[in-house]
Amino acid sequence: MWIDINAYIGHWPYKQLHDSTLTGLIARMDRFGIDKAVVAHLDGVHFKNSQSANEALFAQLKSEKSLQKRIIPFAVINPAYPGWEADLKKCISNGIAGVRLYPQYHDYLPEDPACVALVRKCRDANLVVGLTTRMVDSRQRSWLDLPNVAGTEIGEWSLRQFMPLVREVPGATYFFLNVANGLAVAKEDAALLKSDKIIFDTSGRSLGFMPDLVQQYGAGKFAFGSHSPLLDYVTGMLRIESLRDSEATRAQKDQMRSGNAIRLLGTHIR
Amino acid sequence: MNDLPDKLSRRTFATGLLSTAVLTAFGKNEQKAGFDLMKEVRKFRKLDAYATSVFTRESIEQHLDFADRYGISKLFVANPMTQIELTPAQFREHNNKVIQAVKAHPEKLRGHFTVNPRFKKESLDEVDRCLDAGLVGTRLYQQVKINDPIYAPVIEKLASRNILIFMHGECQMGVGGYKMKYDARKVPTISTPGDFAEVAARYPEAMFQFAHMGGGSDWECMCRTFEPYPNIFIDTGGSNNEENMIDFALQHLGEDRLFFGSDASFYQSIGKIFASRLTDSQKEKLFFSNYQKVLKKGGFHVD
Repeated sequence: MWIDINAYIGHWPYKQLHDSTLTGLIARMDRFGIDKAVVAHLDGVHFKNSQSANEALFAQLKSEKSLQKRIIPFAVINPAYPGWEADLKKCISNGIAGVRLYPQYHDYLPEDPACVALVRKCRDANLVVGLTTRMVDSRQRSWLDLPNVAGTEIGEWSLRQFMPLVREVPGATYFFLNVANGLAVAKEDAALLKSDKIIFDTSGRSLGFMPDLVQQYGAGKFAFGSHSPLLDYVTGMLRIESLRDSEATRAQKDQMRSGNAIRLLGTHIR
Repeated sequence: MNDLPDKLSRRTFATGLLSTAVLTAFGKNEQKAGFDLMKEVRKFRKLDAYATSVFTRESIEQHLDFADRYGISKLFVANPMTQIELTPAQFREHNNKVIQAVKAHPEKLRGHFTVNPRFKKESLDEVDRCLDAGLVGTRLYQQVKINDPIYAPVIEKLASRNILIFMHGECQMGVGGYKMKYDARKVPTISTPGDFAEVAARYPEAMFQFAHMGGGSDWECMCRTFEPYPNIFIDTGGSNNEENMIDFALQHLGEDRLFFGSDASFYQSIGKIFASRLTDSQKEKLFFSNYQKVLKKGGFHVD
């Protein structure tokens, strides 16, 4: 069984995406034998009022009931905007399994009080918190996108920028998504990352040589993720499938294909 | 942007339902529960037209490991000069590392050489020395833009021997003269797609490889710039694996101008090809035949 923990539907304002509807995503999942996907609506990343994107996702899911068993909805919540607590409640009532946060795009810091409060609520409601280090490679971004550019004074984010939040709410469940710019964190934060409630999806550039990473962090630390439709659908699979039997047992590969996702998403999976 | 696709009119809503039904049915029939990715990957013979630039023992070992893992027949390696000013003694030293590595792993490695055209005579002599030592192409960097007249003697010599001219290129705002108000803090002599287009038009008999499609560049801009120049090839190398990259390149450049290259990002460089809609025949060309055909023109093809 395969579960993609990092998929989207929706639009990116600066580039045409392909198969970025729910039906397009399902067709892509079918092509590559993926059973379920954790999905958020990409439009919420750029909307100040991200709730309208969440409602769009819920509306699609309601109108296409045959797909509901395969889609695990996440909400995009903007804690720097009025009404986010009400948004979260509505999203919970619509069956979300977690939230994805975009502090870079919604213009706040992960350690800001509202964000910390949101993550505490997620922890208490048994919701996963998805944190994405970057949406696109800054080197080929649009001039309208974030000013954070690799190699300049305002560089891209890495795990480090999110660690103050993890420090504030260490008991929450986190999916670190599309991890770029290294896996290193400050020495005092390294122990936090070892939590079995924190996993990395396999879409990120920083997952450079999986045999070493599996040896260092264990197979329990990784789960298949595509960052689709922004990134291609296969690279995240290849990181798992190209491990030799001597590098990961079948059971360990199954953990990464879906086992770790099932463990952390728990009863949210239908 | 403000009108979400889900806030649909009656007509689009109905169309959406129809397409869902069709796609769901299609998907059900097409579902590949037993999809074997590694079997697909290993099905194609491969030449890596842009393998490592790093010559530590660890890097070479890791590349050989990846080659074995993915069924890559030959890795084309080089030690380019990433620093801006290097002397002839230094570029000879770089090339010697490549010569030694190829000698140590003749079954897997083929070598490219680098020169600094600011040293005209020494660069032309180095081309001969490296060819005599068994190297088979170039790995040029950013000492001078590729369309700078300083490069002319080197390009003319390489073209006369039918040697593919492989050079680092970028297509990023704030680099090499493109939208410099977004200064990316890089040296000004990095070659852009526009620079490649200019030199390709000037030397239609020469063959150029713009490295690397996934190297962080705006690949749509790159492909559109190169479309009218049949003597510019691109490789798939680099860490960027945006969706649709390969299909877009196929659409704009055709199936004969694409090479497989990793630039040490094997997962992304292979993953994006298998995520594409290329046919098996097109994949075969990309992974092997296109590069082999170009190498053959200079007598550098593999067995």
